[in-house]
Amino acid sequence: MIPELGYGAAIVALGLALWGALAAALGARTGRPALVLSAQHAALGVFALVTACLALLMYAFLTFDFSVRYVATNTNLGTPFYYRITGVWGALEGSIILWTWMLALYTLIVILRHRESARELYPWVLTVMLGVLAFFLLVITVAAPPFARLHPVPADGHGLNPLLEDTGMITHPVALYLGFTGLTVPFAFAMAALITGRVGDAWLTMTRRWTIVAWYFLSLGLLIGGWWSYHVLGWGGYWAWDPVENAAFMPWLTATAFLHSVMIQERRRMLQLWNLALVIMTFGLTLFGTFLTRSGVIASVHAFTQGTIGAFFLGFLTLVLLTALGLLAWRWDALGAQGALDSVVSRESAFLLNNVMLVAAAFTVFFGTVFPLLSEALRGVKVSVGAPFFNQVNVPLFLGLIFLMGVGPLIAWRRASVDNLRRNFLGPVLTGVAAAAFFFALGVHSALAVLTLALTVFVAATIALDFARATRVRARMGEPLLPAMGGLLRRHNRRYGGFVVHLGVLIIAVGVTGSQAWSVQTETTLGRGESTELAGYRVRFEDLAASEESNHFKVAGAFTVSDGRVLGVLRPAKKFYPQEQSPIAYVDYRLGLREDIYLVLGDFARDGSRATVKLQVNRLVSWIWIGGLVLTAGAGLAILPETKRTA
Amino acid sequence: MRRRHAGVTALVLAVLLSGAAPAPARVVSESQVHEVAAELRCVVCQNLSVADSPSEMARQMRVIVRERLEAGESPAEVVQYFVDRYGEWILLSPRRRGFNLLVWFAPLAAVAVGLAIVAVLVRRWTRRPASEGTVPSLDPAMRERIRRETEAER
Repeated sequence: MIPELGYGAAIVALGLALWGALAAALGARTGRPALVLSAQHAALGVFALVTACLALLMYAFLTFDFSVRYVATNTNLGTPFYYRITGVWGALEGSIILWTWMLALYTLIVILRHRESARELYPWVLTVMLGVLAFFLLVITVAAPPFARLHPVPADGHGLNPLLEDTGMITHPVALYLGFTGLTVPFAFAMAALITGRVGDAWLTMTRRWTIVAWYFLSLGLLIGGWWSYHVLGWGGYWAWDPVENAAFMPWLTATAFLHSVMIQERRRMLQLWNLALVIMTFGLTLFGTFLTRSGVIASVHAFTQGTIGAFFLGFLTLVLLTALGLLAWRWDALGAQGALDSVVSRESAFLLNNVMLVAAAFTVFFGTVFPLLSEALRGVKVSVGAPFFNQVNVPLFLGLIFLMGVGPLIAWRRASVDNLRRNFLGPVLTGVAAAAFFFALGVHSALAVLTLALTVFVAATIALDFARATRVRARMGEPLLPAMGGLLRRHNRRYGGFVVHLGVLIIAVGVTGSQAWSVQTETTLGRGESTELAGYRVRFEDLAASEESNHFKVAGAFTVSDGRVLGVLRPAKKFYPQEQSPIAYVDYRLGLREDIYLVLGDFARDGSRATVKLQVNRLVSWIWIGGLVLTAGAGLAILPETKRTA
Repeated sequence: MRRRHAGVTALVLAVLLSGAAPAPARVVSESQVHEVAAELRCVVCQNLSVADSPSEMARQMRVIVRERLEAGESPAEVVQYFVDRYGEWILLSPRRRGFNLLVWFAPLAAVAVGLAIVAVLVRRWTRRPASEGTVPSLDPAMRERIRRETEAER
């Protein structure tokens, strides 16, 4: 009964979404507010029904309703309560419901916030949002129905993918999907701007904070994904350039480009076409990413034909891109390049370069990710494009971006005079050079590491200089130091929010550099009581212990870690799940600001006399997570409502 | 790392040339194994290198890498051994030749095209100077100063 209810709710929601999209469009064309109102009600109905779908699926999980195929595949009687809830989005069908629910939620917020303020654009925004919703509801009802029945009903389910039994399972997908679905809002406004011909700045101003919110959630999703990878997957890293990761990274890159290029349009009324193109690209990439990771096409081009979901996403992506390009062509005249620059040496140029780098990076990731498909389809040769490739080609781009991060915010708009350049950059450049010499003297001999660290210091110096200067002005007027700083942050929250985000990115860059350049590892087999040494740490194998958990069997080793004095006992384990052929590694670690000690249990003798252990000392990885927190603070500052402008 | 490698080779050669005892198994460091293994794809994993993967298969592959290096093979030869066995697919970074050049040059081309477009646009736009009369932009420090001073005067 429950599954039928869920299925029915999805079908009705699909009907409502289609009607709403149509009604809003008709309302906009005929100028009849009743139709727009009807579309609004339809959106409300869609939200209620999708909420019901999500609740019903969750109920099926909590009650072990194995007559539902999706429940039977992703849970079993041993699955703990917590993971029965997160299991709802543990695989394709459920994650699409979660996705749709968030999209419906965003639609609701758009209605609440913009139904008065965006009169002209609003009906079309509603049309686009409901149209996208209709697509996802179509996927739910036809291509990947989460409520499909299973006959005969099994006595027990298969169980969740053990790697997903982690607290990250609640935060990571939720943040990522809030990012992905949030990017639909600026896209909808861009489409509405094109349809109505109001391609000026109104849509940009209205979506600015939306884009920051979506961008922030996407960043958070990526970072939590890195943390999950680091502490669950047991390979000692946080980013593998896996197609799934790339799928989320590409829209992040183009959204970042957009966040920067909007500033040129706001300031100088330029790049209207480019900004629209970036928003369309970003939205297209979120769809493409879903297609890439969910169609099975990555495993092999031939897997593509097996499921219908790939065809759905590819079809919708094509429809979206054709429509968007058609609209762009239609409004071409209104979008004509009205650009005018005073000088090549200006903030405008810095931002243009920033966009080139970011979009080139997005393209690189895109092409590298699809290249194996291309090679297989055209040559019949399977190749891999993995981490060594992506690191090699992207590092120069990212270094360039860090450099621009220092230049962009301080170089003058329009025309940077020699005086402006000297005033803003002489100090930071000297600081950067001094930092390079300092790190070199300290024994850092990897050119890449020295360069990255020096650039990081340079950018940090520009930020410090700008902030100090503005504070001094306030302080000179008699304001005490701390209130002066606070007032500055609040009054120019967007600028300084951006700076704090930049600081977060710098800290992440240091973490990435450090972990790539200085991490060390060793792998040995130890008898009981024997120990191994690495980077000043001594790790002694004490014993093995086996235990029976609710849905798996666990063998954990105890290893005493010391660096002269005992630091603690780490217990990396292997978990044996009945539904999995090979055991799952469960790592244990001791995090530190300078370095993490990270242990992975390998093979072991059944009697517990010997165990193989992989010991890693990972440098500066914690900086990545700290950078994430700083970035969070910056994004929060940037989206505060603006205070009244004085200048 | 390469220097150390060369040093080890020189040592082995020296021992061989001196005609002393039969060549001992070459000493291979952890980082040398890691370097080769990082190039290879773990065949049972999603997308991890042999160096990183915690799987049993990857561990055995690391053992093979070590054994072959110790037997005196060069890193390139060890990599080739795996390519012969599994095909080009085993390489995490496609070889720079033939069709694969496409993926290596695409990023370069993207940057070049992007820079070219920006260069053309900037040239065109700077020839048509910005309209006069708009308020010149200020940095926050300046804006802050103006605000303060105008307030002080009031």
